[in-house]
Amino acid sequence: MGKGVVLVVDDEAPIRDILGFYLKRAGYQVLMAGNGVQALDEMSRLQPDLIISDLRMPEMAGDELCKRVKGAPETQDTYFIIVSALDGTASRIGGLSIGADDMISKPFHAQEVLAKVDSAFRLIGMQKEIKRQNRELSAFQGRVEAELALAARLQMGLLPSLPGEIRGAKYTHRYLPAEGIGGDIYTIAPLEDGLIGLMIADVSGHGVSAALISAMVKTSFENHIRLSRDPLAWALGMNRDLCRSTLDDQFATAWLGCLNPTTHVLTHVVAGHPPPIRVRQGSRGGLHQPELLQGKGFMLGLDESLPFSLHEGQVLPGDRLVLYTDGLVEVEREDRSMLGDEGLLKLCAELPETADEAADFLVGRARELNAPVPFHDDVTLVVFDRFS
Amino acid sequence: MLNIQTRQEGSASVVSIQGKVNFEVTAQLRDVIRDTVTTHQPKLLVINLEGVSFIDSSGLGLLVAARNSVDKSGGKLHLCTLPAPVKKTFDQTNLTNYFSIFATEQDALRGA
Repeated sequence: MGKGVVLVVDDEAPIRDILGFYLKRAGYQVLMAGNGVQALDEMSRLQPDLIISDLRMPEMAGDELCKRVKGAPETQDTYFIIVSALDGTASRIGGLSIGADDMISKPFHAQEVLAKVDSAFRLIGMQKEIKRQNRELSAFQGRVEAELALAARLQMGLLPSLPGEIRGAKYTHRYLPAEGIGGDIYTIAPLEDGLIGLMIADVSGHGVSAALISAMVKTSFENHIRLSRDPLAWALGMNRDLCRSTLDDQFATAWLGCLNPTTHVLTHVVAGHPPPIRVRQGSRGGLHQPELLQGKGFMLGLDESLPFSLHEGQVLPGDRLVLYTDGLVEVEREDRSMLGDEGLLKLCAELPETADEAADFLVGRARELNAPVPFHDDVTLVVFDRFS
Repeated sequence: MLNIQTRQEGSASVVSIQGKVNFEVTAQLRDVIRDTVTTHQPKLLVINLEGVSFIDSSGLGLLVAARNSVDKSGGKLHLCTLPAPVKKTFDQTNLTNYFSIFATEQDALRGA
């Protein structure tokens, strides 16, 4: 194999011969053609890396040949040098504007042509290398994206299936991860004695590591609700689990609740998470006075020795609970303001009737109020309605 | 935009932060705090949050990690001058009781 394939196109045989002589001596494989038509014919047999073409030729001139070569996807990367008797900047720009990569003016020195060809081949070599690396990167990126898409589907599988119904209540969610997969998770699970366990959590950070921890949070929750009916015990247990399995600055905010549908008592623990909003008799929509459930506490996974506190409230038949993660309300708008818990509370004052309509309304309004700034953190919203 | 300044006050290091502390800047801030702790091994690390307009959960995580690393090297972490929005975040997460928080930088340095 030589250094590469050069196609010399010129209607004057002596010029072809002299260029051919020098190029062959320099180690190139040389093809010859007397005009554009012949050149295309040659190219159908062997694809050159570089074409040196005269501009003025019978049958098909150099500019037309250049347009065709640069216009066809399979030949567009061929390096094209136009040789022209029309000297000066105007013809130079003309040649480059039709897509040629370089120009040589007649009369030329064979050594000058050779130097240009050598330098062109260095460029061609680099371009090939870049393309090869680009292909590898694209392939790698494709694999990573496919993996992430699969992980995202798996993560969706961790969420409760919709429409959700449990012991005299129905619920729905909107889950919008920031990067395909996210660190938000929630679950609603039946407990012994007809109780309902509720959990929503937001793992610090987003992306793959947050998603892994969110799966751990869910597993930990499911383990602890089997052992006890006390959200305080759940919080302590989950805190211990997370402290032992995460890095120093990784943690999860969470809200854990246990609802007794018979006594309507909700016991709950706020672990660094925005408390849910309760809308009294809100499950039928309309105008109401929503309120934030009271309580505060440390997030999970900071320190094993931290205490948590249990709060108690009431969720009556017909009441609506709105659970959410801070990604919904903490978007800094162009005027630097944020929707915040208070803003969301106001939006909850008049919600549509069904849980699905209410969820769409809240996400839609939050988006409108933040526009044009998009959500940039994981966003999870759960609307939980007790039947009247 | 995050602006971080560090200085030494005797055996104490002071890190002053200005701007929004969120996911995008925590790596930068983590490096500064780690460098300060390893270079000076301060008895007292004061983080001044006066210029912080907003702190998200990854920022809180960073402060917790800072407290842990200072604890391990036998030092103390004091936070000071929390603006109202930051204080609210701390209250909500009970972190007000987790960190030693002071009204002014002088108080934080004195440890009073």
